[in-house]
Amino acid sequence: MKQFRYSLAALAVAALASPSVPAQAEGEILFKPWAAGIKVSKGTVQIIHGEKTYAGRVGAKLRENDVVITADNGSVGLLFLDNSTLSMGPNSEVVLKRYKYDPTTYLGAFDVEVKQGTVSLQAGDLADSGPDNVRVTTPQAELKGNAKQLLISVGDSK
Amino acid sequence: MNRIIFSATLCSLLILAGCSAPREYYGLSGGKGSMTVTSRDATKPGSTTLDAKTPVVMHDGDKARAADINADQLRGKFALALEAQPLPPKRFTLYFVEGSDILTAESQAAVTAIFEEIKQRPAPDLVVVGHTDRVGSVAANDQLAAKRANTMREQLIKRGIDAENIQASGRGERDPLVPTADEVAEPRNRRVEILVR
Repeated sequence: MKQFRYSLAALAVAALASPSVPAQAEGEILFKPWAAGIKVSKGTVQIIHGEKTYAGRVGAKLRENDVVITADNGSVGLLFLDNSTLSMGPNSEVVLKRYKYDPTTYLGAFDVEVKQGTVSLQAGDLADSGPDNVRVTTPQAELKGNAKQLLISVGDSK
Repeated sequence: MNRIIFSATLCSLLILAGCSAPREYYGLSGGKGSMTVTSRDATKPGSTTLDAKTPVVMHDGDKARAADINADQLRGKFALALEAQPLPPKRFTLYFVEGSDILTAESQAAVTAIFEEIKQRPAPDLVVVGHTDRVGSVAANDQLAAKRANTMREQLIKRGIDAENIQASGRGERDPLVPTADEVAEPRNRRVEILVR
């Protein structure tokens, strides 16, 4: 099935906007899923979605381009569709820049920007389907690869 | 005057690049894989690799390099972030009668355990993944796998789970529980996996 998977890769990249829709239904997006759900939330957690800001409570859903911010008493844990997890300590800010996931082939892209704070990332099924599927941007650097468990700290005073 | 402006600019650049830049740390906390760490500042290009050999890398505003702290010291900074990690998903496997989307009698009984697990979680959502054995074409198996997953999703919605909280997809014959040659009937591969998350 290897060959099939590789030829699918090109197709899937083109069709990433509607990843879970079978080929015969292309263009017809039945259900645009969210990217991640909040499973753990402590203290003050805020979500910025476009021009709206709301409380990041347990059960809230996040989509591409959403921004998650924790206050100095806050922490939050997100679970993505591919079973990746991202959790943030206090005084942290993360932008979900890009999240594409095809649950049939596991192809896709995961791209978060850590602007501030402490972030633990555990890559899920996405990390297995391509060498550079996991991408993290910080103010100073860009990290690309297939690591399963990452810790990112930005703005360390020590 | 120009010289003063120039030296002032140079000075602030040095400050930006050096001591006042917020320090960044990147660490592998177990598991496999590696990351390439590349500086974003185009005037100071450079990159290094974060891997089992160099599990902690730092960036001081100038360049990325092996860090001045070890993995345990790094982990110490992440106590609250790690505490907020979601529970790992719990996986249930249900089996089907050959070529159909009807659960075997045993698996119909196992559905109860799934609802027990759902009750344990604060904001549960489910991922339903359908699988097939290798009898039939890849395309037909993709369809059958998706059909199995969708049937299961509809049943879960009927039993009270919010539709927004159930993702269903098929993996076809790509992920056999028991690897076989093509066109081999294998009941253990005719399954759906339900992740309670």
